[in-house]
Amino acid sequence: MAPKSRLSESAAARPPAILSPTILISDVAQLTGTHLIRVGNHTAVHPRCRINSSAGPITIGDYCILNERTQIIAPDERGIVLENYVVVETNAVVEAQRVGEGSVIEVGAKIGKGAVVGKNCKFTPLTTVADGEVVEDDTVVWGFGSRRKDMSGSKEARRKLVERQVEGLKAVIPSNRAKFMS
Amino acid sequence: MPPKQVKGEYIETDTGNKVSRKSNILGSQNIILGGKTIIQADCTIRGDLRRAGAPGQHGNVAIAVGRYCFFARSSVLKPPGKTHRGAFSFYPMKLGDHVFIGEGAVVEAAMVGNFVHIGAGAVIGKFAIIKDCVRIEEGTVVAPHTVIPPFSRVAGRPGVVVEELPETAQESLELKQLYRVI
Repeated sequence: MAPKSRLSESAAARPPAILSPTILISDVAQLTGTHLIRVGNHTAVHPRCRINSSAGPITIGDYCILNERTQIIAPDERGIVLENYVVVETNAVVEAQRVGEGSVIEVGAKIGKGAVVGKNCKFTPLTTVADGEVVEDDTVVWGFGSRRKDMSGSKEARRKLVERQVEGLKAVIPSNRAKFMS
Repeated sequence: MPPKQVKGEYIETDTGNKVSRKSNILGSQNIILGGKTIIQADCTIRGDLRRAGAPGQHGNVAIAVGRYCFFARSSVLKPPGKTHRGAFSFYPMKLGDHVFIGEGAVVEAAMVGNFVHIGAGAVIGKFAIIKDCVRIEEGTVVAPHTVIPPFSRVAGRPGVVVEELPETAQESLELKQLYRVI
């Protein structure tokens, strides 16, 4: 009987959501909270990704990829904005105020409360960004807190790859957008 | 109502695999377990991320695991994916025998050999190849596409070989004892 009661519970706590008709969202992704969750075109939300809008609204742009076990948590009433082409990998926790276009947050990285991340940043696995920190555009955070600037100039190529990846994911992950529409 | 059945934590299969009821296994039809493998609670295995296109002669195997493997709590196994000739696809992941994956570790390797110990919280990047008899220390980040030679101890971010293991390493990396305990 337990699974049934769990289902009805999640239905009661379902947050208001504006989901683009072109998104890919798994059946077992978790959207919780009370504030508005807005997701843009062609964004992929993997199974067991957790999006929590208890404290504020969440806006996710176009062509973002949110992997399994990631947590997107609004830090306060100002909410959180993920711009276009943001990739968040497994186990990452994002509580930033804003994450710039084309940034990549890799496995297990943590972006602290209210941090502001620039465009095309990269956070390699297990790195952390402190609460309220401002990270400039094109920063790469790696190793034990080391930083450098990305001069490769491959931004446009990377966007293409993210688009292709979303297309590939659409072939393997079944989407259930209707479940999250209130 | 019938009396409540007493259930153990693990479901045991014919070949002696012990799979926790609380593990998250997606796409189980694409996962092959060799036998006597233990999968603990909260462990995530992404068998649904299979190769794009029609199934080949071996079907659509996404993850193949050998015998006497041990996946600790909250570990994640995910086949690696890349864009090749304009199309994104996931590629199968192969694990040998006696592979230990510690708590919270994330593995996206293409191949892991026999007698490999991956410490808690370690991150193995996409398409990494780990040969036989390797010990990866806790919290190590192995970069994508890395090849780790046999009989090595790996640590650091990014993970590098810090020491060679003696030829007797295989005995200390065996997991038959561990299987009997659980």
